[in-house]
Amino acid sequence: MSDWSLSQLKEWDDKICEVAKGYGLDWFPIDYEVCDYYEMIGHMSYHGMPSHFNHWSYGKSFERTHFMYNAGASGLPYELIINSDPSIAYLMRQNELFLQILIMAHCVGHSDFFKNNRCFKDTDPKNVVSRMRNAKKRIQGYVENTEIGIDKVEKFIDNLEAIAFQTNRYGIPRKSRKEIKASEIERYNKLKDVGINLDQSQLENKLLRPDYDLFAFFQEYGRNRFKDWQLDILDIMHRESLYFIPQIKTKILNEGWASFWHYKILHDLNLEDKFHIPFLKLHNAVVRPHIGGLNPYHIGFYIFQKIERELGLEACFEVREIHDDVSACRIFLEEEDIRELNIFSYVRNKGGEIQISEVADEEDWKVIKQDMLKSIGVGSIPQIYVERIEKDGSLILKHEYDGRDLDLEHAEKVVDHVKDMWKDDVRLFTILEDEVWEI
Amino acid sequence: MSVFRTHKTIADRSASDRARHKKKIEKAIKEGIHDIVAEESIIGQDGKKKIRIPVRGIKQYKFVYGQGNGSKGVGSAQGKDIKKGQVIKKADKQQAGQPGGEPGKEKGEEYYDVEVTLDELAKYLFEDLNLPDLQKKHSDSVYAERIKRKGYRSQGIRVRLSKKETLKNKIRRQKKSEKIGTYDPESDERFPFHADDLKYKHIDVKKKPITNAVIFFIMDVSGSMSKAKKFLARSFFFLLYQFIRYKYDTVDLVFISHTTEGKEVSEDDFFKKASTGGTYISSGLTKELEIVEKRYSPSAWNIYSFHCSDGENWREDNPKAIDAMKKVIGLSQMSAYIQVNPAGDHIYGQEMTEVFTPLECDKFKLIKITEKEDIWPQFTKLFGGKANV
Repeated sequence: MSDWSLSQLKEWDDKICEVAKGYGLDWFPIDYEVCDYYEMIGHMSYHGMPSHFNHWSYGKSFERTHFMYNAGASGLPYELIINSDPSIAYLMRQNELFLQILIMAHCVGHSDFFKNNRCFKDTDPKNVVSRMRNAKKRIQGYVENTEIGIDKVEKFIDNLEAIAFQTNRYGIPRKSRKEIKASEIERYNKLKDVGINLDQSQLENKLLRPDYDLFAFFQEYGRNRFKDWQLDILDIMHRESLYFIPQIKTKILNEGWASFWHYKILHDLNLEDKFHIPFLKLHNAVVRPHIGGLNPYHIGFYIFQKIERELGLEACFEVREIHDDVSACRIFLEEEDIRELNIFSYVRNKGGEIQISEVADEEDWKVIKQDMLKSIGVGSIPQIYVERIEKDGSLILKHEYDGRDLDLEHAEKVVDHVKDMWKDDVRLFTILEDEVWEI
Repeated sequence: MSVFRTHKTIADRSASDRARHKKKIEKAIKEGIHDIVAEESIIGQDGKKKIRIPVRGIKQYKFVYGQGNGSKGVGSAQGKDIKKGQVIKKADKQQAGQPGGEPGKEKGEEYYDVEVTLDELAKYLFEDLNLPDLQKKHSDSVYAERIKRKGYRSQGIRVRLSKKETLKNKIRRQKKSEKIGTYDPESDERFPFHADDLKYKHIDVKKKPITNAVIFFIMDVSGSMSKAKKFLARSFFFLLYQFIRYKYDTVDLVFISHTTEGKEVSEDDFFKKASTGGTYISSGLTKELEIVEKRYSPSAWNIYSFHCSDGENWREDNPKAIDAMKKVIGLSQMSAYIQVNPAGDHIYGQEMTEVFTPLECDKFKLIKITEKEDIWPQFTKLFGGKANV
């Protein structure tokens, strides 16, 4: 049973907002929804989106979370907030008051980050909720359509989920075939003017450049292969991938920023002991290193504290605006920080043994930093791109190899998914133990 | 500042996606059945009991980095005493050491539990299967009363008064009166209940004849029946019990263990206690015939007999065994001889399945199980379902 009332939450929220405003935080208005743990798991399964299209995988996600929670294997996350304007956040009814205060302060930090960090500028937070609601309706329509039906829709979504996030990662505008053609012709003509004649017949072959946006590629080159409803689902899931990529890219900074602010705000609120002590306990648990893994709260909180200490609060605001995880860690983590954070590299040996391969000493800290920069942000997801389409229609995919091998079992199954959509042969090239490998 | 809402319940928003997911795991449950059955106790469970079944998750594939030999990762630690070369997770013994081990739990496989009731489990498993020659014998004197709700009546006893229906009637009448002008809602006048508003829940008592079944599980517990063999037998018996229970109202179980002599024992002893000694297959069957005569008249009971051993018998007993088995077949709805024999075991003399081959008919089946994976296909073969569904 909860030990608080809605009016208490409102009072505390007012105090939090006042402190946050004083520091110059600038966030979207926040709508808090109070719900029980069961509803919380429900919202979590759909990434907190108030409305989201249906797919069995969200049912699975629910079952897993519910099971883990009941088995005591994991607690529920304390906060769940989405990047929308207004931001929507969920407060679990059974949480104690001190925890709700912490969460609300934390949410202000997140919402400020969503609103101001440059990675999020194209996420259209004003319309995301209605966009998702609309998408849900349309997909429901395809499910109910007797000519299409749930099996086909589900299968198609299965296929696309397999390539989730294989889209434009860096916000570099993608050129369509038409645009490439126009620019090529322009180049030919310029060269012609200075007396160099290129073979025009080769032009067609040059129109598909390595394409790092699989979704956009399918939308453009699959127009004759896909039905209208499939193109629509492609578009829906493309947008969803683009919407979530900034959150993947800024996990450390976003959580770091929110933790940095809940810590500051709660300090300024001069809490009485019965709130202050449990708050400190919980805060320490949240920003503690995860043994054997990287805890984004831990690293992010450390980075912002370091910047405030060395460069001042103003610099913190700048970092939250222009950086993502990779760039911030590259610039702000030095030898003593890697050591202070106690970060190490490890290698997996036979039989699942894990052995520390480098610790942060003078010699190896740079290796660790490089390993870390590779694995954080979107670096945790391998990048696959379209190399070309062969004359017989088969699709050639390549893996952007950076020293880390693909999981072949997964890769084979994903290629099967792509084949199922593309209808022609699909081949994927990667490197395995320094040799070219074809799937 | 911020807006607070107590959550407007969206009725269990993931329900339909969970249903869809459940469909997918039903298949997985069937495939993983041998992992479940070994753990469960056979007796003393009603159909409502929930059991947790580990299923291989319906895996979703994405492009991910391999976690194989030589791959690198980054981590952190709390203490400062980490050293280069230190092993922070030991090799999995099963993977590194002996080959084989627990199959199916290879790396990267997602396992999690799904909660189902035994009834649901039975439904998943047994939908496509039929009991052959299901005569549904029942003793005329035994009836079960089943109480069912059946609508509402205007007369009844006080305790069955339905407040909800009664109130609905009153509201209906009130609205009508407002419409035709006989009652003014603005006035202070009360609008009282009327005898016609009262509605009572109606309850129907149905008598249904009970169908009875008794299952005889007979097992050789002589020295040659190793733990592995008993494990296979137990798994198979569990399925048999659940299946027959699914088809009948009441099911009696009789456990008979034997070496050269048959004995009725408890479930616990049946699976756990081992005896030394030789094997007379006939002794278990004779014991069954004895018990049937005393307690389970074939005219009132549906009798199922399943005899399990590793296929060995002392040769001089074979003629007696055939004779006794003939009698058992005669009075059973269905009977089977199940030979559990993990591959590689040498059998001395003639296998029992060969001895019993001439008896094979619709009512008597011979089953051979050499490994866990055989259990489900053999089980479906027994009941004419589609194998490997």
